[in-house]
Amino acid sequence: MFGAGAMTNAIDEIRDSEMMFVIGSNTTEAHPIIAMEMKRARQRGAKLVVADPREIWLAEMADIHMQLKPGTDVWLLQAMAHVIITEGLHDQDFIAKHTEGFDDVRAKVASYTPEEAEKVTGVPAEDIRTAARWYATTKHAGIYYTLGITEHTHGTDNVYCLANLVLMTGHLGVRSAGMNPLRGQNNVQGANDAGATPIYYPGYQKVTDNAVREKFEAAWNVPLSPDDGLNLNVMMKEMAAGNMKAVYVMGEDIVISEPNVSKVEKGLNQCEFVVCQEIFHNETTRFADVILPGACFAEKDGVFTNSDRRVQRVRKAVDPPGKARPDWEIICDIARAAGYQMPHYPSSKEVFAEYASLAPKIAGVSYERLEENIQGLQWPCPDPNHPGTPTLHMDGPLIGTAPFQAVDYRPSAELPDNDYPLVLSTGRTLYHYNSATQTRRDAGPVAKQERNFLEIHRGDAKRLGISHGETIRVASRRGVIEAEAWISPRVRRGCVWMPMHFAEQRANLLTNDAGDAVTGTGEYKVCAVRVEKIAEPATV
Amino acid sequence: MNATNNEKFTIQINGNECVAFTGETVVEVASRAGIDIPTLCHDPRLEPVGACRVCLVEVEGQRRMQPGCAWKVHPGMVVTTESDRIEKHRTVLYSLYAADHETDGDGVPVETANANQLRQLCDTVTTIPLEPVEAPRAARPGDDNPYIEFNPDLCILCARCTRYCDEVEAVNAITLSGRGSETTIATAGQRSLIDTSCELCGGCIDTCPTGALIEKKAPKNLVQLGSEKIRSTCNFCGVGCQLDLHISNERVVKVTSPEPGETLNDGNLCVKGRFAYDFIHHQDRITEPLIRDENGELQPATWEEAIEATAKGLLKVKERHGADSLGFISSSRCTGEENYLMQKLSRAVFGTNNIHQCAAT
Repeated sequence: MFGAGAMTNAIDEIRDSEMMFVIGSNTTEAHPIIAMEMKRARQRGAKLVVADPREIWLAEMADIHMQLKPGTDVWLLQAMAHVIITEGLHDQDFIAKHTEGFDDVRAKVASYTPEEAEKVTGVPAEDIRTAARWYATTKHAGIYYTLGITEHTHGTDNVYCLANLVLMTGHLGVRSAGMNPLRGQNNVQGANDAGATPIYYPGYQKVTDNAVREKFEAAWNVPLSPDDGLNLNVMMKEMAAGNMKAVYVMGEDIVISEPNVSKVEKGLNQCEFVVCQEIFHNETTRFADVILPGACFAEKDGVFTNSDRRVQRVRKAVDPPGKARPDWEIICDIARAAGYQMPHYPSSKEVFAEYASLAPKIAGVSYERLEENIQGLQWPCPDPNHPGTPTLHMDGPLIGTAPFQAVDYRPSAELPDNDYPLVLSTGRTLYHYNSATQTRRDAGPVAKQERNFLEIHRGDAKRLGISHGETIRVASRRGVIEAEAWISPRVRRGCVWMPMHFAEQRANLLTNDAGDAVTGTGEYKVCAVRVEKIAEPATV
Repeated sequence: MNATNNEKFTIQINGNECVAFTGETVVEVASRAGIDIPTLCHDPRLEPVGACRVCLVEVEGQRRMQPGCAWKVHPGMVVTTESDRIEKHRTVLYSLYAADHETDGDGVPVETANANQLRQLCDTVTTIPLEPVEAPRAARPGDDNPYIEFNPDLCILCARCTRYCDEVEAVNAITLSGRGSETTIATAGQRSLIDTSCELCGGCIDTCPTGALIEKKAPKNLVQLGSEKIRSTCNFCGVGCQLDLHISNERVVKVTSPEPGETLNDGNLCVKGRFAYDFIHHQDRITEPLIRDENGELQPATWEEAIEATAKGLLKVKERHGADSLGFISSSRCTGEENYLMQKLSRAVFGTNNIHQCAAT
């Protein structure tokens, strides 16, 4: 946002917050150590407002829990903006100096009154008012969000609404404030930074920019495609449509983690050639023509970049098992076998140096500096003498003036109906990680959570005659799986929740692959399902 | 530091002028000045309680010695951390602790899988041999949680573990229970940690100064065995916690956090970062390249064969259907360098921008 897709502020600033607005982030489970900073801020007296359809643990310790209906975030956030503007709590100096398009947003949110918002979201109007007032009038107030915001067909709109709140209150370039997406994986930030994205070369330089392309053509000594590539969601659809004929999958179990996975399986079956580079066999390797054994993090050197743009070292501690090799070496070999003059990098250090030399945001980072800076270096870090940037936008938005975005509420792609009356959201738990090939091989996570479950409201369970612990069937228009029913005080009536970790009962057989128009991110957080008792065998 | 710690002044410690700020304690000021005050119950992440009395110092104007970990500084304060009186106090205190502690043949507190700071402190004085204390402190023999072991004979009841569980992790799974010599670290109803609110973060082990809490998975004699520590970054979520991987016999046998204050995780880890490392040496790891034969069976192959099969397979599809019929799915779990190379492979070698990873999942 505002010119950089990352947390605007550093993680260790959270402890000095005066107010935290956490929306669509089950922080204690998905980012436990960031949650510890939030708990610390809370103990020091910071206010906490949580917006989440579930009563997550953070909600229990919050001043206000706005338990909105899934997919109604735009209504909630626009109503907060409505309160801020009608009560004159917006920061006129900041708006005049650093932003554009405020009047459009002012006009747009005029009709989003808290009372109307209450009808749509289920959140009491008074709570919306109080949260908006606290947020607007507290200096060190930060927004924290995760996939509960982005995994919607209107995910980009949700993000725009949050950005509007940040901009109209001037919470940018202030310590312990800002706009903070908490990234899901260890190196999802770093993968994007390094250009593993269809529209950017390393360092967020546009694929379609001729000058950029020429720079990379010169560096790599080869002509390059001027056209944007396909994002993952679209790739999966093209594969199912028979247009994508070969895939090379490194370190991801797409048959578990993508939405509507039966379509992904169909696509993989149609592919002429599938390569998997993996540390364990998983659901995706079943489709592989070639499997290349890679190395896990403890077996290779490199860097990960975390949520707050911090480049940190990964160091080899043990050898990979058997003939397995560091993944970067494998990729280089394939490039050479395909006829490209890939340099013979002596180590990952030289790979990083080449990458940094082409990506101005991290040009000042080197392995030598990372040895000295044991807390890592946060980008932007444009030259070797630059100390890194813990807090972004201290001198105003990176991009000059930041645009407000006026958006309209759009319902989620698939809403409940008579056939599929419940809303399913999916997510992660504390004890497992994504496709769980790692965590299900450890005794603790297995002891805590051995199998798939579905959180369901006691009212819905009663209506369906389902008791706690019973194995039930969950069906959507795309698939059917079984799970253990957990009657849970955490979910709203009419809503159910399921983790995505379990290969034998894949939540993503149910989810909807309708994607956000801008990012292509699938709608993991809202789809319509039916929950059924499994018929007991008739007793004679 | 806290925003309220802004007023700067000096205090005197052992005759040296030391810089101090409002709200700081003697231990904090001394530590910055490089003056070592021994502590056991002190952890910078926790509210000071002054329970163990190891850090007692002399403060001018105070008749009794005061706990440096809890005593707040004020301008012009004069502190002494080394004197005959303090020396005598420490000798008696350490001897009393040792008498209520499992000791080895030489009467020194034992050390198991983790370092025992009481043992190190006893080394700094000539302890007085005292009659061993028979403390009927309860363990949790039925606790079948796979990670955390409690040995009450090494516990000094400093309550760092219970305070960590309350103040930092905020789950309150363990608590001090009982009275007098029966006081112990307990769960509700002495249940297994698995059946409590415990999230198995293992922070209690990390903060325990005497090794009364240890990792069940680590070799019991790890201190004697010795291990190499490799600093790295956790491979699970996006927080970026720093880890020390402990290596013994070419295996990762334990994972700890760097000291509080050193890195962004401030000494903390979660259950996955600290304990979920069995996958590294798991028997299910793929250990050789595999190529699917004409019958659809995966067969072991050499690296040369696998690399060639991969390059040829991709080139063949490219020739037939064009570069944009290829898709490269990189990994947000792999390193920055590997992601850089994967997009280079996709773009420079095969000519397509169809390169992505699970950016939003």
